Amino acid sequence: MAQMEIEGKTFDVDGDGFLSTPEIWTDEVAMLFAKYDGIDIMTDKHWAVVKFIRKNFEEKGNAPMIRSICQETGVKLREIYELFPLGPARGACRVAGLPKPDGCV
Amino acid sequence: MTVLTKTNIDKGLAILKNTQDSKLITNLNSCVHCGLCGESCIYYLTYKDPRYLPAQKVDLITSIYKRYCTFIGKNIPFLTNAKDLDEKNLKEMVDLFFGACTMCGRCNLHCSIGVDIAYLVRTGRMMLAEMGYIPDTIQSTVDASINTGNNMGITKEEFIDTLNWLEDDLKDEVNDEKARIPVDEKDKNILYTLNPREPKFFPLSISAMAKIFYAAKESWTISTSMYDITNYGYFTGNKEEASIIVKRLFDEMKNLNAKELILAECGHGSRAFRWEGPNYLKNKYDFKTITSVELIADYIKTGRIKVDKEKLKQRITLHDPCNLVRNGGIVNEQRYIINQIAKDFVEMTPHGIDNLCCGGGGGQLAMSEYNERRMAIGERKADQIKNTSAQIVITPCHNCVDQLIQINSYYKLNVQIKTLAEIVADAIILE
Repeated sequence: MAQMEIEGKTFDVDGDGFLSTPEIWTDEVAMLFAKYDGIDIMTDKHWAVVKFIRKNFEEKGNAPMIRSICQETGVKLREIYELFPLGPARGACRVAGLPKPDGCV
Repeated sequence: MTVLTKTNIDKGLAILKNTQDSKLITNLNSCVHCGLCGESCIYYLTYKDPRYLPAQKVDLITSIYKRYCTFIGKNIPFLTNAKDLDEKNLKEMVDLFFGACTMCGRCNLHCSIGVDIAYLVRTGRMMLAEMGYIPDTIQSTVDASINTGNNMGITKEEFIDTLNWLEDDLKDEVNDEKARIPVDEKDKNILYTLNPREPKFFPLSISAMAKIFYAAKESWTISTSMYDITNYGYFTGNKEEASIIVKRLFDEMKNLNAKELILAECGHGSRAFRWEGPNYLKNKYDFKTITSVELIADYIKTGRIKVDKEKLKQRITLHDPCNLVRNGGIVNEQRYIINQIAKDFVEMTPHGIDNLCCGGGGGQLAMSEYNERRMAIGERKADQIKNTSAQIVITPCHNCVDQLIQINSYYKLNVQIKTLAEIVADAIILE
């Protein structure tokens, strides 16, 4: 367990900076985590992606497939990599307060 | 973590006591402490801490070997630097073998007498696996593979939906309603594999390979029950689990009766299946298995696909994945391909078999407890990339891609990271 401080607020995170207690996630946490990754403004598209990932996690306990993210939010595939430079896992899922997915991500 | 008992100590030591393994015994008895390996190791170069010297890692496992397997070590341990396999040394083994080595093998190359240091580290991991000391973070990826059939726990339904979605895209891309991504078809020429991160999060490389197969008019298929080329059992050192994963792909090859197995752009997966696999199964494959890198090079050489030589105008550099290049000997094919489509290709220094590891190998990406070290050792790769002034970094390994994406962001390199298939697919001229 590690700690990460963003703008005076401290979070318990794993070594990769994923929230250790996903239940404390709020919109404010999302904005702070995004800022940490260099995303200064969360646009409507950022929010659509993050909210969908969060909803999937709360309902099914895991991160959604990229296909569902694109089809449900209407955001184009290549655009997602631009919105979240660290990609859907280390970028979008982390901002959505999920634990780190397994695998080569 | 497991409690250390005599029983699990004995399980770990059994690996060292295997007198059948002459390669192991030779390597355990050969280091002359010349120290040349130090300058080859990204951990040592980054931290300048003698603990991280490859020779020190060799020394740790050798000292335990001496204590339990040699006459002097058993009777007068201090004379020969023999050490007990106790809690303290176990902790050090976990930290050095799992947390401070990517098993990239660069030290092997620079060793004055050719000790296979990465093999000794892997042996150390095998001991830890026997004793129940594999870090949970990496074991969970193996568990996902064993329990769900792929290392990200993707359901069959989700996988099929994704391929259908990509097939629709392919039809648009090549402007042909008949273009397909064939699944579970028997008697094809090629069975193609994937790294699960492709269908889950990064499918552009699947689309790219589908377009390449389309252009080559290839007879191919993807299995929906066993497509995962990764094998984290290779990283954890658990031979039984690594063998189960290899066996599943082998069986699926038989089931679908394809002629060739094509390994996706995945360094460790290619190594685990192609080069280690026959040892795991104790069985020589009776089918051809090669990487997509070699296949694409062959398509271009034989004229099966045509590429636009003017396509890529930006400066390109190439990252050599350790398992594919230094440890697998696939050095020229990726360079041949890039030279066919890029006008401005600049090599990193060093490159080829002497290339520096990106820092994400050996299962490091999965072990978040060592994240800080992983980013620190990545600085050397960041500097290599910066020095080329390239705008695009190509690497034929999804694991390297992910580490490079993070390095790109962490060290503000402002480059694009792409697989080989992606740049080839963009340059294809359809007839």
